[in-house]
Amino acid sequence: MKQSREKKISNGAVVFSYLFLILFTLLTLLPVIWMTYSSFKPMGEIMMHPMHWPSNPSLANYKKAFEFGHISIAFLNSVLYSVIATGGTVLLALAAGFALTKFGFKSAKIYMAFFTLGLLITVNSVITPLFIMETNTGLYNTRIGVVLPYIAFGLPTSILIAGSYIRGIPDALVEAAVIDGASYTAIFWKIVLVISTPVIATIAVLSFLGNWNEFLLVFTLTSGQNMRSLPVSINSFAGRLNQDYGLQFAALVIGTIPMFVFYVFAHNSLVKGFGEGAIKE
Amino acid sequence: MIDIRQKKRSYFALLMPAFLVYISIIIFPILMSFGLSFTKWKQFKMVGFVGISNYVNILKDPVFQRAIWNNIQIMLVSVLGQIPLGLLLAYLLYRKWVKGTKFFEMMIFLPITISSIVVALLWNRVFSPVGLYTSFIRQVTHNPDYVVTISESPRFAMIPILIVLLWQYTSLYMVIFLANLQRIPESVFEAATIDGAKESTIISHIVLPELTGVIFTCSVLAISGSLKSFDLVFAMTGGGPVNYTTVMALYLYQQTFTFSNYGYGSAVSIIIVILSVGLISLSNRLYARAQKSIN
Repeated sequence: MKQSREKKISNGAVVFSYLFLILFTLLTLLPVIWMTYSSFKPMGEIMMHPMHWPSNPSLANYKKAFEFGHISIAFLNSVLYSVIATGGTVLLALAAGFALTKFGFKSAKIYMAFFTLGLLITVNSVITPLFIMETNTGLYNTRIGVVLPYIAFGLPTSILIAGSYIRGIPDALVEAAVIDGASYTAIFWKIVLVISTPVIATIAVLSFLGNWNEFLLVFTLTSGQNMRSLPVSINSFAGRLNQDYGLQFAALVIGTIPMFVFYVFAHNSLVKGFGEGAIKE
Repeated sequence: MIDIRQKKRSYFALLMPAFLVYISIIIFPILMSFGLSFTKWKQFKMVGFVGISNYVNILKDPVFQRAIWNNIQIMLVSVLGQIPLGLLLAYLLYRKWVKGTKFFEMMIFLPITISSIVVALLWNRVFSPVGLYTSFIRQVTHNPDYVVTISESPRFAMIPILIVLLWQYTSLYMVIFLANLQRIPESVFEAATIDGAKESTIISHIVLPELTGVIFTCSVLAISGSLKSFDLVFAMTGGGPVNYTTVMALYLYQQTFTFSNYGYGSAVSIIIVILSVGLISLSNRLYARAQKSIN
């Protein structure tokens, strides 16, 4: 009697779960799938039969996107900005995290609180002064002028994540190395960085994702075609006022593919990173 | 023996690079912003101090008031839409009533990797007269002339943006909740099932109490995320038609970069900082009070 009732409830739950999850998955995937196959259709077909599969799939839209959109340089810039800034964030955050958790100085607490404060500050609250500063120092429209803010805005979250991980490394390990005559710099490079591989992966994946998709800083701190990243470039040549839908679809697919590949490889670290309470961009 | 001076030197050598970058790019500009917010600019030059008049003018500007209301709508959708939906999805995945939970999780989490610019332009296409949504509605209702007009409505123009935000960020909360659900020991569930506890009892007595802290953290994330929304709105509508969909960050952007009104723009950014600090400490206080009353 009890058994059958239990089974009935869980059957309802199973059906509801399937329906709800399938519905949500479809809502997520359909626009992306539609965008992808539409990018192989010429303009006329997009207008006449918006839902249809392409009758004569062609790469013409992609050719146009690469010609007009300076996609290659934008892609290269995105790679440069994201890789350099991510490397910088990881290194600076790990070093600071080590200093603030394993040295036992009183000021560490104050510094930590100070970095945590940065979680409340967003790009748009500093964009005006940052723009004025960069114009006056010659950093405006340079790659370093983009990478430095990327690193800075990655630091608060990354230092918190790195600090809480490094705190868990046994003190004895560091002390033994000190007694053996190792310098703290050597300990950082040879012990802390090596032990922290899992947390480095988390921080790197999160900052890479954030940097790759960042828009406002590149948009306001650069002006030249050859400094623009992928999102900024896509918005400027295929933005909301563009009437060439085929070109736009191709641009959107080009903007999605690199992160899609990244997602397939980094999915687990991403889930772990966000799951541990990281910050929404 | 450990040389304390050498130790101190290493401490600063490790700490300073991060500290200097952080100070010069986040802290110094914030202070500068505060100073600038009392000034007036003309043709890229500061022309004098104007006291608090920037603040007064901003708060009196109906466009800014509209922006605040739109930010509030985003906040409501984030806290009352994304978080409960994310929680439900996480729970369904956690209970493993279905096969292929890993597949569902991976697919639903996918939008998190797509840039807001791409998401915005994609959904513009979806809602356009030759879009996926429009064509679907036309087929279902047999009305070949159907078009999406809600984005022109002064009262409801934000709705397409809110739907897209739901699409884009719900899975973020799903992943956060799922990670925290997986921390609850299995034995707790087994014990409850053996005791014959109903699903609703399990949810209200085990799951929700266990997750209160995370739900609170997510709400803080959602609130602060809502106040800074820019990319999606900028690429999707640019704030239009006639400022119907403008948000505070967009207003700030226009003042600074379209009108070169650096003083006024800085005052807007200070208002955004004050609002986010205020809202977060308010929710902190509410959370502390709620916890007290539960215990």
